[in-house]
Amino acid sequence: MINPQELTQAALAAIAQAHTEDELAAIEVDYLGRKNGRVSNLLSGIGKLPSAERAVLGQAANEAKRAIEAALAGRRRELTDARLADLAETEAIDITFPGPALGRGRIHVLTQVQRQIESVLESLGYKVELGPEVETEWYNFEALNIPPGHPARESWDSFYFTPDLLLRAHTSPVQIRAMQRIKEPPIYIITPGRCYRRDPPEATRLPYFSQVEGLAVDKALTVGDMKGTLLYMIQSLYGEDRRVRVRPSYFPFTEPSFEFDVSCGICAGAGCKSCRYKGWLEVGGCGMVHPQVLRNGGIDPEKWNGYAWGFGIERMAMLKHDVEDIRLFYESDLRFLEQF
Amino acid sequence: MKISYEWLGDFVDLNGVTPKEAADVLTRLGVEVESLTAVDLSEIIVGRVIEQVKHPKSRTPLWIHQVDLGDRTEQIIAGAPNAVPGSLVPVALPGTTVPNGKLVKDLNIAGFSAKGMLCSAEELMLGEDHSGILILDAGKPGDPLTTVIPNQAVMDAEVTSNRPDCMGHMGVARELAAGLDRPMKVDFMPAFTGKADPPGRDLIDVSIDDPDLCSRYIGGAITGVKAGPSPKWIQRRLRACGVRPINNIVDITNYVLLEYAQPLHAFDLAKLSGGQVHVRRARAGEKLLCLDGIERELTPDMLVIADADKPVAIAGVIGGEETAVTEATTEVLLESATFNGPSVRQTARAFGLRTEASARFEKGLPAELALAGARRAAALIAELAGGAVHREWADVYPQPQEPVRIRLKPWLVDEVLGVHVPLDDSEAILVRLGFHVRVLGDGEWDVLPPVFRLDVTIPEDLVEEVGRVYGYDRVPPTLPGRRHDKWTPAVPNQGRRLDAARQVLTGAGFTETWNPALVSGRLLEQLRVGARALRVSNALSDDMDTLRTSLLPSLVNVVALNRDRGRTEVKVYEIAAAFLAHVGDKTTQQPEEPLRLGVVADAGTTAESGRKAFYAMKSVLDGCVRELGAPPGTYQRAAAEMFHPGRCAAVFLDARQLGYLGELHPSVLTGANVEGRLVAMEIDLEPVLDAAGVKRAQTLPRFPAIERDLAVVVEEHVAAGALLATIKEAGSDILDSALPFDEYRGAQVPEGHKSVAFALTFRSPERTLTDAEVDEVMAEIKLALQKKHSAGFRT
Repeated sequence: MINPQELTQAALAAIAQAHTEDELAAIEVDYLGRKNGRVSNLLSGIGKLPSAERAVLGQAANEAKRAIEAALAGRRRELTDARLADLAETEAIDITFPGPALGRGRIHVLTQVQRQIESVLESLGYKVELGPEVETEWYNFEALNIPPGHPARESWDSFYFTPDLLLRAHTSPVQIRAMQRIKEPPIYIITPGRCYRRDPPEATRLPYFSQVEGLAVDKALTVGDMKGTLLYMIQSLYGEDRRVRVRPSYFPFTEPSFEFDVSCGICAGAGCKSCRYKGWLEVGGCGMVHPQVLRNGGIDPEKWNGYAWGFGIERMAMLKHDVEDIRLFYESDLRFLEQF
Repeated sequence: MKISYEWLGDFVDLNGVTPKEAADVLTRLGVEVESLTAVDLSEIIVGRVIEQVKHPKSRTPLWIHQVDLGDRTEQIIAGAPNAVPGSLVPVALPGTTVPNGKLVKDLNIAGFSAKGMLCSAEELMLGEDHSGILILDAGKPGDPLTTVIPNQAVMDAEVTSNRPDCMGHMGVARELAAGLDRPMKVDFMPAFTGKADPPGRDLIDVSIDDPDLCSRYIGGAITGVKAGPSPKWIQRRLRACGVRPINNIVDITNYVLLEYAQPLHAFDLAKLSGGQVHVRRARAGEKLLCLDGIERELTPDMLVIADADKPVAIAGVIGGEETAVTEATTEVLLESATFNGPSVRQTARAFGLRTEASARFEKGLPAELALAGARRAAALIAELAGGAVHREWADVYPQPQEPVRIRLKPWLVDEVLGVHVPLDDSEAILVRLGFHVRVLGDGEWDVLPPVFRLDVTIPEDLVEEVGRVYGYDRVPPTLPGRRHDKWTPAVPNQGRRLDAARQVLTGAGFTETWNPALVSGRLLEQLRVGARALRVSNALSDDMDTLRTSLLPSLVNVVALNRDRGRTEVKVYEIAAAFLAHVGDKTTQQPEEPLRLGVVADAGTTAESGRKAFYAMKSVLDGCVRELGAPPGTYQRAAAEMFHPGRCAAVFLDARQLGYLGELHPSVLTGANVEGRLVAMEIDLEPVLDAAGVKRAQTLPRFPAIERDLAVVVEEHVAAGALLATIKEAGSDILDSALPFDEYRGAQVPEGHKSVAFALTFRSPERTLTDAEVDEVMAEIKLALQKKHSAGFRT
């Protein structure tokens, strides 16, 4: 018969000498294994013993088991601590080595900028409206108070398919269509989309480009409301330090009409090379919707009024990302597109 | 338009207002000054040439001048001979920088000292003439040049198309006067100075055929004029505005054009056959030799001025050479007319000729302006060319300008602007701009715009007038209040919904592109996708003369461009509209504009790499459709233009066809100069968005699954999709999923056959399945495959 105390001493000695967690695991199986462990074997013949001895041996075996378990746990903790203490050296890697290429594509910078603009205006309650790119003469011009022969038509030299069908020169036709569809103000919409004008391609303009226009029709809207909306939009996109200026201008579809400028981000309005020493960058046009345009959209100008604005997405992207040539957006050179 | 600061001073007191300040005021008022070029003459002094001798030694011809500078005499050498003794000249002393940037030095030229420089017009930036010294017509030696020629500043301004009155200095000065709150020095309508007999209308007979194209024609007669150079100040102002001086009569007409914005024309009255002016349409075949030396053929839609025999001017555009005023002219017919804007523009465009006159007429000028301009020019001609202005001019005025009256509720100003403008301020502003305001009993205003402001017709126009002078900077920014209980709910915008597909594509390595919708129509025809294309009638060039009917040609070109620029792997897509004209009716109906997703990717160079790329593209499409929230699409073998005939699938969502997916046809790639293979798809997105629904949560499985592989040997032509359908049908409700994962051809299977391996998963939501149960279902699946596809099985 093996003495439990001796067995315990032998086990503790083996545990103390173990240098790896694998050795400990083997010792655990050797002594405490359920089928052939030495402590278990102690108890295998216990049924034949008288009950008094049985109790004594059982207790001794349990004590041996607890002692061995405690020793195993203690030694295991020592070994783990020692291993973890050495990790800085044993498993050091060269963290300056680059990771593998992610292999992700990019979303076009104009899509990104368009989404930013949409988010800002959606946060003010404006909703996106879309419309056809091939428009009728009426929606593109006449509904906007630009009858045939109007001198302002010069500014919207357009591509025609037939005398009545053309590529829209702005997204303003969508404003008319939206008013006709919604009928009853309040109307707060933005109209992002592609537009076309017959201007030969150069660094600052293209015959195809994209606009976002906005339209608010409600009761008692003011030039102040329009200024506030533009200011909120510009500061949200470019930062709180930017200022917005509206300058009187002329569009047939708004009265009064304005150009809106943003203070130069480089010189903060003092005048520098990038703003051509003006201190301001021209961004777009805006104004209070002309009563006739409201009427053309089916809205009663005696009851409602509105303001509208528009600008090029490319222009906004150029300002935001320092792009100097508008053609890059549509040339689809991946070296450019992957920068954003 | 070029605006001379000094000239503005004729009309409004600019004392204490710098050119920069004036430019800022104008910009704030709506006349945007884009640039300002200042010429400072205060360092230059007046000198009188006492003596001029040729330099005795210099090889290049030089002249040595003794110049009286008032308190002393200096020796100055010049390269031009025109500063003869007695001439008054501008002198720049050593140390002075002249306006064109040249620094004058104290020099010794071949033994003769030179203490300064005699300046040319070009050096003083008073004109382009650098051939000789600028000779002054007045001045006292030693005085600053500015006693004779004021400091110059020229603004380049953009005048909006509604304000032709601001295409002249007087109109701009009126804006400035209103902005500065200073009075105008000059009345709009000059006095009539004609006194000479006989009455002008006896000297010339004016008739208008087409009153719609010419609402007024004033023909003023001036006789006894002496043509010659005009005074220096006129020449200087013309040059500052970019107009070349010709002779005093012509210069005065141009001067008044730049002053009043009313174009004028002077005919040599003696050369007008029959003493007639006939405003009519040109007759077919008529020609006119114009003032610029070019003979132009006229068409019947053009308005001309004709004498008894022939056209003598193209109305509002350019005069004729034959009847032009020359040095020999003594009798002048001064034309001041009002021509129809669109007609003038059309004629000018037809000739590709935009003159100072046509640029003004095409905006639509008020007829009253014609009278003011004619009177002003007549007075100047009498003063500067010595003519006698005849009384009672011919003035044919078939459509008199109707005065416009506007009822203004003056509180509209505050309501529209969003700031309180005192009524007195509003009224004062309108009066400064030339409006007459009468306050009515009910507090409303009866407002009469000045005759030169055809652009003001409705109350909102008046609000703008007040607002721009009051200052929009003074309007505080606000956000619109929410004054309604009715609001349309927010819905995700279409672009944002499609971003779910963009994310799939981005993750799969595809980069988004935006390509022009205008492409080459010839290319579309070559690719045989041009049948429903819309062609632009006034294209800029033939590489963008047609709206694309497919996104794929653009994307193939993107691959070609990027490969050219050194990219090996190109995976690109675009989300945009394609344009499809309605069959049979391209002319009146707007085309269909389906919103599409076009995708193109490299597919290697081998048949096998192409096959793999095809399946990869299917995964991309399935991923996009899934993320857009729609049920999965199905694929059917198909043939389509631009696609490889053996490797093309039509994609369906329920019964709606979305588009095609497949390898591109080798001939498409050859045409675009792309080597290897490309895989592509073009899909209509609107049906996908329409089919999108909310994703519903499925209960997670509680019992383990049993997995089995099945290798099915069939003849080559049997499609995996067909086998899959049979498996699913036979699989009973414990078949959880089935997926083909491998294809094998070779020694293990008979010739003309292939082995397709499927991974099958069996699971019950209610209990743990037993092997025996699964074996039973497997046997049924095999039986069905045998029956339907004559399939064998590999183990």
